[in-house]
Amino acid sequence: MSAVRVLVCFKVTPDFEALREADWAAAATQGVQTRYVRRVLNCFDESALELALGLSDAAARLGVTVELGALSIGGREVDPYLKTLVALGYERAARVAAGADGDIADTDAAGVGVGAAAGAAGVDGAGLDRAASGLDFAPAVVASIIASYVLRADHSDLLVLGCRSGPGDGGTVPFRVAEALGWPCLTRVTSIEPLGDGRLRVGAMVDDGLLRVTLRPPCVLAVGNALVSHLRAPTLKDRLERRERRIDVLAAADLGLDIAAELRREACVPTALETIDRRRRGAVIAGATPRDKARTLFDSYLSDLIETL
Amino acid sequence: MHLSREAIVEGLQRIVGPADVITDRRILVESSVDNFRKLQNIFDVHTMPVPAAIVMARSTEQVAAILRFAGEHTINVIPRTGGTATEGGLESAVPDSIIIDGSAMNRIVDIDAYDMQATCQCGVPLQALEDRVRELGLTTGHSPQSKPVAHMGGLVATRSIGQFSTLYGGIEDMVVGLEAVFPGGIVTRIKNVPRRAAGPDIRHVVIGNEGALCFITEVTVKLFPYFPENNVFLGYTLKDMKTGFEVLRAVMVNGYKPSVARVYDPGDAGLHFSHFAADDDCVLLFMAEGPAGIAKATADGIAAIVAGFAECTRVDSAYIETWFNDLCWGPDKITAEDERIRQTLNVNRTTEISADWSSINDIYQAARARIIAEIPDITMMGGHSSHSYINGTNMYFNYFFNVVGVGPEEETAKYYLPIIGIICEETLKRGGSIVHHHGMGKARAPWVRDEYGSSYYILETLKHAFDPEGIMNKGTIFPL
Repeated sequence: MSAVRVLVCFKVTPDFEALREADWAAAATQGVQTRYVRRVLNCFDESALELALGLSDAAARLGVTVELGALSIGGREVDPYLKTLVALGYERAARVAAGADGDIADTDAAGVGVGAAAGAAGVDGAGLDRAASGLDFAPAVVASIIASYVLRADHSDLLVLGCRSGPGDGGTVPFRVAEALGWPCLTRVTSIEPLGDGRLRVGAMVDDGLLRVTLRPPCVLAVGNALVSHLRAPTLKDRLERRERRIDVLAAADLGLDIAAELRREACVPTALETIDRRRRGAVIAGATPRDKARTLFDSYLSDLIETL
Repeated sequence: MHLSREAIVEGLQRIVGPADVITDRRILVESSVDNFRKLQNIFDVHTMPVPAAIVMARSTEQVAAILRFAGEHTINVIPRTGGTATEGGLESAVPDSIIIDGSAMNRIVDIDAYDMQATCQCGVPLQALEDRVRELGLTTGHSPQSKPVAHMGGLVATRSIGQFSTLYGGIEDMVVGLEAVFPGGIVTRIKNVPRRAAGPDIRHVVIGNEGALCFITEVTVKLFPYFPENNVFLGYTLKDMKTGFEVLRAVMVNGYKPSVARVYDPGDAGLHFSHFAADDDCVLLFMAEGPAGIAKATADGIAAIVAGFAECTRVDSAYIETWFNDLCWGPDKITAEDERIRQTLNVNRTTEISADWSSINDIYQAARARIIAEIPDITMMGGHSSHSYINGTNMYFNYFFNVVGVGPEEETAKYYLPIIGIICEETLKRGGSIVHHHGMGKARAPWVRDEYGSSYYILETLKHAFDPEGIMNKGTIFPL
């Protein structure tokens, strides 16, 4: 049977947990300054990337070839992640360098191939960061880029991506991409297994439990709270062996898109930020012995709760 | 006379009462190791002898009674407080050991803002002490990455050092006095004075003893005024670690005292700074603190020195400040890291050494090259220098490897110990010290004679004198 061509989309985000409380307090009036915190993989996308590697491993055991590709939208902060994915066995690695100010591309990074429009722009995009691109609250534009990349450049037949990503966390990108491609979309995916005949067995959370479905690509799989949540690490030897593999950098114009115009049409615009006080009341239970403390805990805090159950 | 496990428990219960003697099998098994065998703990695979009991000591008198009991019956005891050791110091190397846990001795005895010193029991978390003195506009100046979880007794016992050591020093520079209990239940107090020349400095018999000589019950540490509003951060990228070491040396030799002075190699920098540094960049960073004039003069002086190294490119200081605010590891980060390891079998380990300026780059280069060449499945091999002195600096090797083809119980033998061996060999070859601040534990104890050379006589004599029955933390510092 023919190979399955998989594309995993991922986003590199600021590590919001590294922000101080004061940064959030200032955010209500000034916008959240995330430029200075380190970058991490969006957690749902990290699951998606590892699930795809697991799918590839399992398919190989069945004699089926899975061709993995990875796509992200952003600046050079994405490239170390793409290089890691290449070292892990992703055969295609691409970044769409799209920002609010138009199409920007890198021209001097080693091992980086540049699309025609990106090359024509000739601008060093080192400073462009996804967080500053205007795309964080523009799910329609993001979906448009992904769908165009699939149709015009990658021609993949299985699209895997996280169900949502910060800071927007709207969770609409997978649906929008599926609609644009005309593919079915399965959400809250937690596992993907090959059946060896071109079909996949996919697990997904539903309100009443775990749904297991058999489906045949093309389709979009939106990964939710999967048990697999961490990406494996390539060895230094893997990195050395695959260091010459190139990363494709495309401008949105290479995909026939005018990002600036699309952003102007985007309906979702953040206007204010309100912090949610998640502090919880706490108490230190006093007592001479653990038995005394356990009794106080039960009498004062637990017995009423148990009665209400 | 050798006691059964049951008799050991009964003896301890007579001393502290039944409620403070833990015999739950699960807790005992988990307490048979520390972070040196963290992979075994993560996968619940345990190979070390199970302790007979954990006894929660609540007073110096109880500690003394427990040590008398252990001495009478030649039972191995393992002192611990926060339990954050990384080098096997808290492992039970022999069967039926007693773990003396001082974490319930957690009272801050006194904070003296006039004499600028604070006295606390061994089980006071450093974070708790720091939070209390901060309310008075003071700081301990001690900030190891384990600050949220480590306790004062353990920090002194392992000769800890903090992130601001270049200004405040290591814990040995902060401890002015202490109380410790030696085998036989002998309670000793070293009084709190600014300095004295009345013979050898006996604090150093206790500081760094790793529970192999005595149990530390109380410590008094210095306090310093806290001026966070004056902190100045400086950050640079550069391409060569050798240049980084040269910059650090120039800063130290010219007399500057930044609280933080670090250089990261590209591998280690990639873990922290990839949002502003290229993947082949080293990162150099400083923090100056203190009264406004001193902080500014220190930062200005360092900036002028670094400006003399054309290879260094200044980055926005906010990158460094933001990174620094998220550097300490609390329980949440430890749990998250354990889960990452459980899923990926990609293990992160560290080994820290020190050497003079002439040798440090050679040790870094030689050890790194050998580890990459000789150890399989390495996924990252890097490190940083984070504690500098007038005559040299440390190197904190930071490395990751995938555990392939062996179970969790074989991880140390296949990967960790061979890596430690390479680092120790390359360090000793060039006259450095194989341990900068984690302690010898049991992991590096096999190299203790090479580390000490002819001065091992002094160390060995201390052990024989203070612990003649050999009941104190067998295998730690002194190999079995």
